[in-house]
Amino acid sequence: MTTLLTDLITLSAAGLLVATFGVVVRRSFTGWVSAYRYQSVVLAASTAVVGYSTGFWDIYAAAVLTFVVKAEVIPRLLVRVTLGVEGDLKMEANPYVSIRLSVLISALLVALSYGLVGQLLASAKLDVLAQAYLPVSVSLFFIGLFAMVSRRTALNQVVGLLIIENGLFLFTTALTHGVSLIIEVGILADALVGVVISAILLTRMSQTFDTMDTGSLEKLKDD
Amino acid sequence: MMMSGFYVDYVLGALPSGSGTLMLTVLLTPAAAAAFVAVTRRKRLAEAATLLSALLVAMQVAGLVAGVIAGTRLSAFGDFLSLDALGALVMIPIAGVGFVAALYSINYMGRQYERGIVDDRHIIRYYAGFNVFVLTMMVVPLANNTGLMWVAIEATTLVSVLLIMLYTTEGAIEAAWKYLIVATVGLSLALFGIVLFSYAYSTASPSAAGSAMNWTGMDADAKMLDPAIVKVAFVFVLVGLGTKAGIAPMHTWLPDAHGEAPSPVSALLSGVLLNCAIYGVLRFNIIASGALGPSFPSELMIGLGLLSMGIAAASVCFAKDMKRMLAYSSVEHMGIISLAVGFGGFVGLFAALFHIINHAIAKPLMFFASGTVSQRFGTKTMSEIRGIIKVMPITGALLLVGGLAIVGMPPFNVFVSEFLALASGFAGGQVLAASAMILLLVLVFAGFIRQLVPMVFGRPESGKSAQLEGTERKDDMGALAILPMVILAALVVILGFYMPQPLQTLIREAVRVVQGAPSS
Repeated sequence: MTTLLTDLITLSAAGLLVATFGVVVRRSFTGWVSAYRYQSVVLAASTAVVGYSTGFWDIYAAAVLTFVVKAEVIPRLLVRVTLGVEGDLKMEANPYVSIRLSVLISALLVALSYGLVGQLLASAKLDVLAQAYLPVSVSLFFIGLFAMVSRRTALNQVVGLLIIENGLFLFTTALTHGVSLIIEVGILADALVGVVISAILLTRMSQTFDTMDTGSLEKLKDD
Repeated sequence: MMMSGFYVDYVLGALPSGSGTLMLTVLLTPAAAAAFVAVTRRKRLAEAATLLSALLVAMQVAGLVAGVIAGTRLSAFGDFLSLDALGALVMIPIAGVGFVAALYSINYMGRQYERGIVDDRHIIRYYAGFNVFVLTMMVVPLANNTGLMWVAIEATTLVSVLLIMLYTTEGAIEAAWKYLIVATVGLSLALFGIVLFSYAYSTASPSAAGSAMNWTGMDADAKMLDPAIVKVAFVFVLVGLGTKAGIAPMHTWLPDAHGEAPSPVSALLSGVLLNCAIYGVLRFNIIASGALGPSFPSELMIGLGLLSMGIAAASVCFAKDMKRMLAYSSVEHMGIISLAVGFGGFVGLFAALFHIINHAIAKPLMFFASGTVSQRFGTKTMSEIRGIIKVMPITGALLLVGGLAIVGMPPFNVFVSEFLALASGFAGGQVLAASAMILLLVLVFAGFIRQLVPMVFGRPESGKSAQLEGTERKDDMGALAILPMVILAALVVILGFYMPQPLQTLIREAVRVVQGAPSS
C-alpha cells in the first residue's frame, strides 16, 4: 500500500463527508441535488480507488455505473420531474430542527459513527480501505436518516434516502470489495426505480394535497 | 463446491420434471403476463392473462414442491437459483394466494371499474403491477445469493407502492409514502446486516470469495463465522427485514398500507409479502444460531414476538376501520410466528412454519370478504356495517368462518398451529412468554369478536345498513367474488382436521433446514 494510495483513500473519504454536510446546510431543493451530485462523483472516485487498490476490474465497472446513474441520471431526473412544482414548495422554510443545530447534530453523528465502527467491529481485522470508508459510510447513513426526520418537505426525504443509499453502496464496496457486479447493478436499479416511483408519488402529492409538507400527512389514524 | 453443484445438476437431469427449467419458467410466466398486459392494454385480455399466468405459476410451483419433497435441494445456473424445503414452503402461499387473488380481482376491480372509481389506465396498471409483484416475490425464495434476495425484496416494496397508490386518494398517497420511506430505510438496515454476514463468511473461509453471499455456503460454515460480527449483523437483519415483515415496533407502515390498498392487493401484502420477509429472517436465524448458539437469536425473536402481539392486541381493540383491524391482526400473527421460532425445538419450528401457511389462507379470506362487504355497504367503518348475514348471506358466513379461524378458534387451522406454538413454549421452559402469549391471544379474541359479531348478525339501526335491509335484496356480489373465498374457507376447515401427507413431509423437511441440517 503506497502512501499516495493511502492519501487518496483518506481524501476521498473526507470529500464524501464534506458533500454530506453540503446537504445539511442547504435549504433549497436545487442545493440538495447539487450536493448529492457532488457526493456521487466523489463516491464513484472512491469506488475507482477501491478498484485500483484491489485490482478487480468489475469494481471499475461499478464506479462507472455509479457515476452515470447517480451523478447524471438521478439528479437530472429529480430536477426534471419537479419542474412543475412551485418554488416555495421546494424550499425547506421551516424544518423541525434548525439548520445550525442540524450541523452540530450531524457532526456528533459522524463522531458516533467512528465510535460505533471501532466498538462493534473491534474483533474484525479491517484492512486500510475498510478502516477509512466504513465509518464514513455509517455517517452517511445516520446523516441521511437525520435529514429525513428533521425536515418537512417530501423532496428532502427522497434526498435523505439517496444519501442513505450512497452510504450502503460505500459500505458494501469497502467491506466486500465488490463481491458481485450483478448485485451492485441490482442495488443501483432499485435506487433508480425508487427515484422514479417517489417522483410519481411526489407529483401526486403536490396535486392532491397542494403541499409537500409531510407534516400534513396525518389522516390515517386509529382514533 | 464444484463437486456438489455437479452432483445436483446430475440429479436434476435425471428428474422427469426438469426442475432447473421450472425454476426459470416460474419466473418467466408472470414476467410474460406483465409484458402482455402492458402491450395489449385491454381489460378483458389483462384479466385473462393474469388468471392464466397465476394458474400456470401454481402448477409449476406444484412441480417444484414435488421435486423438493422427493428429497433434493433443487439448483440451477451454477447454484444461482436454489430451492430447498424452506423456500418451497414459502413459495406455496405466493402461488396459492396469487391465484385466488387474481380470481377475486376480476370481480372486485371489475366493480370498481363499473362504478367509475378506476378507469382503463388504472386497470392496466393494476394487472401489470400485479404480475410484476408476483414475479418479485417469487425471486425471494429462489435466490441463493442473499444480495439478490435483498434486491428482490426491495423490488417488492417498489411495485407494491404503485399498487397501493392506485386509487390516488389522499389516504392512499399518504399510505404509499409512509410505506416507501419506512420500508426502504428498514431494508437498507437489512442490507448492512447482509453485507456483514457475507463479510464474516468471506473472512472465515477465503476460498468462498465468489460465492460469499450464498445461503448454501453460509449455512454449512455457520460455526466458523466470527460471533461478534454475526451478532451485530443479525440485529441489523432482524430490524431491517422485521420492518418489512410487520414485526413491532417497526410495523408502523403496515396498517396504513394494508388498509388503503385495493382488497386483493391487501390479501397479497398480508398473506404473502410478509412471509417473504419472515423467510429472510428465518434464513439468517439459521446462520446466527449456528454461529452464536441458539439462545441469543431466540431471545430476540421471543421479545419482538411478544411486543408485536401486545401492540397488535391493543390496536385491534381500538380499531374502527375493518381493514385496519385485519392489518393489526397480521402484526399479531407475525408476532406468533416470531414467538414460535424463538421457542424453537421441532414442535416450535413446525408450529411457526405451519402458521405461515395457515395465516396465508385465513387472512386473504378475511380481506376478500371485507372487500366485498365494503363494496356492498359503501364503507369500511365497522360501526356502520350491521347485519351482513341478512344482506349477503354467503359472504357473511364466510366472513364469520374466517374471523373465527383468524382469532384461533378450534376446529380451524390457525388454532392447530397456535396450540402447537404454545405447547412448544411450555415444553421448552418459556413459561412466562407462553403465558403472556395466551393472555394476548385472549385479548385479541375479545377485541376481534366484539366487532365481528355485530357486523355479521347485528340489527341495522341507521344509515347505509338500514337502507340495504330495507331493499331486502340478497346479493353476494357474484360468483367470482364468492369462489375464491369458498376455496380458502374450505382449506381453513380442512387443515383444521387433517394435514395432507405431502404438506406434512414438506414442513418436516423445512424444519430440518431451519434446525441447520446440511442441505443435500
